[in-house]
Amino acid sequence: MTAHVVNLVVSGVFHASILFLVSAGLQVVFGVQKIFNLACGSFYALGAYVGVSAVAWYAEAGGPPALFILPLAIAGVAAGALGVVVERGLLRFVYDRDETFQLLLTFAVVLMMEDAIRMTWGTSPRSTAGLYLTYGGVHVLGTTVPVYNLIVIGASLAIAVLIGWLLTHTAFGCIIRASADNREMAEALGVDMRRLYAKVFTLGTALGTLGGALVIPATAAMSEMGIELIVEAFAVVVIGGLGSMRGAFVGALIVGVLRSIAISVYPELEMLLIYLIVIAVLVLRPRGLFGGAPA
Amino acid sequence: MRTTRRSLLRLMGAGAAAATVRHDAAPVFAQAGGPVKIGVLTIRAGIAAPVGAAGLRSTEWWLERVNKAGGILGRPVQLIVEEESNPKDTVERYRKLILQDKVEAVLGGISTGVTLALGPVADDLGTPWLSWDGTTQKGVEETMPNPKWAFKSVDNEVEAIVAGMLTAKYFKGVKTVAGIGNDYSYGHDCWESYQAVLKKYTPDVKFVLELFPKLGVTDFTSHIVAIQQSKADLLMCSFWSGDATIIMKQAAAVGLFKTMKGVFTTAGGVHDSLKKEFTPEGLLLGYNTMYFDDPKGSPLLKQFVREYKAKYNEYPPYECDHAYFCAESYKAAVEKAARSGRQWPEKAQVVKALEGIEAESLSGRRSWREDHIQMCNFYQGVTTHKNPYDFVTIDPIEVVSTKVAMKPAGSKLFDWINSWKI
Repeated sequence: MTAHVVNLVVSGVFHASILFLVSAGLQVVFGVQKIFNLACGSFYALGAYVGVSAVAWYAEAGGPPALFILPLAIAGVAAGALGVVVERGLLRFVYDRDETFQLLLTFAVVLMMEDAIRMTWGTSPRSTAGLYLTYGGVHVLGTTVPVYNLIVIGASLAIAVLIGWLLTHTAFGCIIRASADNREMAEALGVDMRRLYAKVFTLGTALGTLGGALVIPATAAMSEMGIELIVEAFAVVVIGGLGSMRGAFVGALIVGVLRSIAISVYPELEMLLIYLIVIAVLVLRPRGLFGGAPA
Repeated sequence: MRTTRRSLLRLMGAGAAAATVRHDAAPVFAQAGGPVKIGVLTIRAGIAAPVGAAGLRSTEWWLERVNKAGGILGRPVQLIVEEESNPKDTVERYRKLILQDKVEAVLGGISTGVTLALGPVADDLGTPWLSWDGTTQKGVEETMPNPKWAFKSVDNEVEAIVAGMLTAKYFKGVKTVAGIGNDYSYGHDCWESYQAVLKKYTPDVKFVLELFPKLGVTDFTSHIVAIQQSKADLLMCSFWSGDATIIMKQAAAVGLFKTMKGVFTTAGGVHDSLKKEFTPEGLLLGYNTMYFDDPKGSPLLKQFVREYKAKYNEYPPYECDHAYFCAESYKAAVEKAARSGRQWPEKAQVVKALEGIEAESLSGRRSWREDHIQMCNFYQGVTTHKNPYDFVTIDPIEVVSTKVAMKPAGSKLFDWINSWKI
């Protein structure tokens, strides 16, 4: 029984870790730019593919297998540079337009990215072969937990702490919070919104691509892998509250762990349970658990 | 999600072939009206894109060979390729192939969700349609028992039936079974059929867990926790795409198959991604209807595997043979129908010739049953690491004919299984 509980929690938190990274990217962009970025799932998929290529290149160059996580993480963060291109090349044209335009544009990015991925990496699923097993497993209370899953959980926690620190202890964080709170006032005080938007969107993109890169050893990259995650990320931000980092963290944990429990206890309820919570939050606390007060 | 709507007119080699066609072969047909146009429907986007790519690649390989050898009755062959997407759009493209492009026949169709809609349209439009992998079954029930123009693939559930038979043979003593498959008709039908067959061989077997994640899920760690908790003796899995690779890898990380037997009815479709590092020996693995490494394979199979590997750096999956047979049997039927006259045969004559015809395909001889369903062999076996590849293969190789494992024309699946004398 104890072993089963450990398994349930670890698998749930592992799923939550990836969900958190993608949702955090969604939140930071929404918080400052007020754009609901549907393409966050595509950035996750891109990170996964770039991760596969980076690791393959690293293996060919004769890098020690135990350190594969380094090129993987670097590639994941580097792929975030696409954020600047998307923000400067596309999004900046729709900031003052209706939200529908913004949604349509980010949805167009989803479709374009899927095709671009297929043209670059082909249609077959891509994977990093057996690298996932490099670190083996640890025995905890009568069960085996893959060490790589623990690394992903640890990395995600570290990123959560880092983002928290960035937002509360740095000048950049202050500017982000101020701009999220009152864009006009921040602009009047001399914040260069053009640069800030480019930086924030790149940060949001890098969180998604890093999430994709980190998960790839445990799974396989498929061009439509982002779509499923977008749906879950929606649930996370609705539960946690749009624009809230703490909300992304708690929302991801709720969705990840409940999904894991539902699959074990009553698999038919897997998605239903999550949506029941989404509905309950929307009815009882429409701004989510950590959503701010209405402006 | 989204569909590539542009059609792609493929003249692949038709012009060149026309110039090099052997002029000693049936000149009367060669003069009958330029190249033979054949429509191809294939999936090039989404989760089934690798399956569609494999079918198209082997059709192109067939095309090249046929055109080099003089075409069909002296006429070079030209393919016109269209996208298979959702049923509505695919039906429109099918109509376009026949009404606008005026093709002699249509090959292809992978998703039964699509081909279920295509069947009646094919019968209505009066042009032969030879389906690669799609059936006209609703669940396990046939909706077109007497088709006129539609030629359908093997029943979807056959590989689960074969796996049920082989589970009883290789994993004697299994008392409890857990199942996982995709949450759509194929996953559910395979699970139901597998249970019915295994129950027939091992009446006291208990099915303790069934999981149906959505197609496209990439994290099965929570599903594996549920499977571990079920403490089943055996896991049956009907995943056929990248999800088969993912679950294998995530299962290996927690040592699932150290304590549990495994049956992967369809994972042979992504066989070269099942690396030895995380795919154990001793699992039952299904390759559907073609096994690339069959030591008893024909010279045709060996040549195909060699050239496919050289061109695409992959080893071919079963879809190649479904597609090859459809094209080759069409050619054989045209040639058979033409024997009685000096004219290019009418489409109806070709259909008549197709009924019951046998043709040499990559995996050996295949045929069309009288009710227009493909007859062939299924390949499954026990995974082994003893091979020169970095992925698993099977040894021993079990070859089971659809004559044994597919419900006879006109019968109901579960009535038929229940009637078995074991």
